[in-house]
Amino acid sequence: MTITAQAVRRDAVRAPRRRGGIAPPWLFAVPALAVYALVVLYPALSGAGSAFTDWSGVGEQRSFVGLDNFQQLFHDDQALGALRNTLLLTVAIVVIQNGIGLLLALGVHTNIKSRMTLRVIFFAPVVVSPVMVSFLWKYVYNPAPDAGLNAVLGAIGLGGLRQDWLGNPSLAIWSVAFTVIWQCAGYSMVIFLAGLEGVPAELHESAMVDGAGTVARFRHITWPLLAPALTINLMLSTVGGLTLFTQIIAMTNGGPGYATDTLSTVLYKQAFVYGKFGYSTAVALVLAIFVAAVSFIQIGYLRSRETAA
Amino acid sequence: MALDRSVSRRRLLQLMGGATVAATAAGTLAACGGGNAGSSSGGTLKVIGAGSQEAGLRKALDDYKKANSGFDFNLSFSPADQLQTSLRAQLAAGNAPDLHAVYPGNGSAMSMVQLSKANLLADLSSQSWTQKIPTGFKGAFQNDGKTLIFSPGTSVLGAIYNKKAFATAGVEVPTTWSELLSVCDKLKKKGIVPIALGAQTPWVTQLIDYALVPGTVYAKTPDFDDKMTAGTASFVESGWADAMDKYLELQKKGFFNDNPNGTTYEQATSMVGTGKAAMAVQVSAVLQAFREAAPTPDDLGMFPFPATDVAADNWIPGGVVVGIAVSAKSKKAEQAKKFIEYCGRPETVNAWAEAVACVPLYSEGDAKVDPVLKPFLPYLKDNKAVPFMDQRWPNAEVQPTHFAVVQELLGGRTTVPAALKKMDEAYRKNA
Repeated sequence: MTITAQAVRRDAVRAPRRRGGIAPPWLFAVPALAVYALVVLYPALSGAGSAFTDWSGVGEQRSFVGLDNFQQLFHDDQALGALRNTLLLTVAIVVIQNGIGLLLALGVHTNIKSRMTLRVIFFAPVVVSPVMVSFLWKYVYNPAPDAGLNAVLGAIGLGGLRQDWLGNPSLAIWSVAFTVIWQCAGYSMVIFLAGLEGVPAELHESAMVDGAGTVARFRHITWPLLAPALTINLMLSTVGGLTLFTQIIAMTNGGPGYATDTLSTVLYKQAFVYGKFGYSTAVALVLAIFVAAVSFIQIGYLRSRETAA
Repeated sequence: MALDRSVSRRRLLQLMGGATVAATAAGTLAACGGGNAGSSSGGTLKVIGAGSQEAGLRKALDDYKKANSGFDFNLSFSPADQLQTSLRAQLAAGNAPDLHAVYPGNGSAMSMVQLSKANLLADLSSQSWTQKIPTGFKGAFQNDGKTLIFSPGTSVLGAIYNKKAFATAGVEVPTTWSELLSVCDKLKKKGIVPIALGAQTPWVTQLIDYALVPGTVYAKTPDFDDKMTAGTASFVESGWADAMDKYLELQKKGFFNDNPNGTTYEQATSMVGTGKAAMAVQVSAVLQAFREAAPTPDDLGMFPFPATDVAADNWIPGGVVVGIAVSAKSKKAEQAKKFIEYCGRPETVNAWAEAVACVPLYSEGDAKVDPVLKPFLPYLKDNKAVPFMDQRWPNAEVQPTHFAVVQELLGGRTTVPAALKKMDEAYRKNA
């Protein structure tokens, strides 16, 4: 079975090469690249210069401070705590969101009658604004015993499990993570579903003839052929986790204390609350480089895994 | 974000660059540059005010427009957190509104001192009303001898209480700390939450400290701020520790609602309005919100929150409310200044102050003051009012640090000395 799946995969990998021969002229890309350079690259690079100054964000006063902002960053307890929170959230989101997304995709990629309705229901949270979702969940997480989730727990006899979901420093970060996963699992599902649609049915049929069970077929056919979908999902959820901002600002503002601060909320607060635009840009620069490095390493590994599959 | 023509392309791109780098990481900062104020047109003044001052500022603008046929304005409001983002982004882009909200004194990124350092505020010193600013409040209005903002008066901070809840428990307004504890105990025994605390909303976290510190710090050391500036005093070795201990004592005795760190300002307001809770420590500027949450406005009263058992030491916090300033880069600065001069007339000051439940900055004859504020007036008269503490803090980092450490204290994540040490560290950072 594995050999068959690999053969299909190699065909897929080779296919674009067969279409090659005439390289598209790079000239075609020049207008798009020029616009990208003008509105993204040049401003980003020129703005990055602020990371080496003590600019407050308003006025003209600024002094060159060299690498002081970067040195401060690596001795800043708040930033280091935020880095820890960012990594925790990213790992939780990447693992759980994609796990649930995969299970949902497998569930609705069957012949059950309501599969189309279920696909819409599972995907629906994705199209809602993250701010709205955050406020909705803030209501659900109301700590009063007679409100939101706590009321539901009380009604079903699980009153002992009532929590201060967003106010408990140990729990708040996981409450936020759950909200993000609730909203984004449907997105992962759709990408996995697209991957599942591309798995040839005849492979499953011949495997069944050979006596392969459900688990064996998933392990040797479905999972290897889902590699491209997994690559995309892991990439998107990793970048999303590392740059998580909206849900935290809307639900906890980084609190209680600093318990849910991430690098994104720290750089926002440094710029707009503390009035330290230079330092904030340094944090942003380090975060951008960190995200890029993680993404390149991740995509390199996952691409090699796709080829191996 | 509409940009003024005076912004050079290089400047625009630099600003976009900062935002791009930030957005690369944060993803959503584009929303921060929003705001709903369009660019000025013709003789129209573009004005962005603080949400808490809406009633007073709108009335002043409407009255001025009626008296000046050629005058018009484009007015919008921002809640406190958006003043730090949308308005600050406009200031950074050189696209400031002609008139905009500014916090008095120092201590915030949108405060008078911080913005004046960047030369973003027009000088109002030549206007006659500036001579009437009470000496004790000059630091809130002036930097380097120049008056840079107008504010209609002072907001006081104390306990907003539900009279029916007090009557149910058979308790009277307390005047000492021991009486307060006794009142809270009786309320609790009646099943009423003594003090509603919505500490999930960051700015609410500071209010109980602000209510206690005038008694535990300033009554004994009136020049505490000067000593802090000189480096001869610290939070950790001052009455701030006593105030925070008392804050935690209220929590340990169960006098707050359950889970204050998970409760918002709005939820706490509703609790007091409906009588589920008996009181909340708050600024008088939000009285209107509490009245809207109550069946009738008369259900609510306000009293100075006692910090000590010596009645004479129970000073109150009374800070100048968020004001307005003229942008130094405004092309209509003269027109805007004329409006500020109009605001400085005693009758306008009175009308604005009345609309936002604050005590007028000055008055000719009897000022109209919201009746619930009357218990505070003797303190103001006897100079027993201390400006809100952050107005003398040297940078914008101390206040958010205070918010965070209070949440950590309530969550059992830190101790009072450690919390105050963090505030001291933030204070010693350069402005």
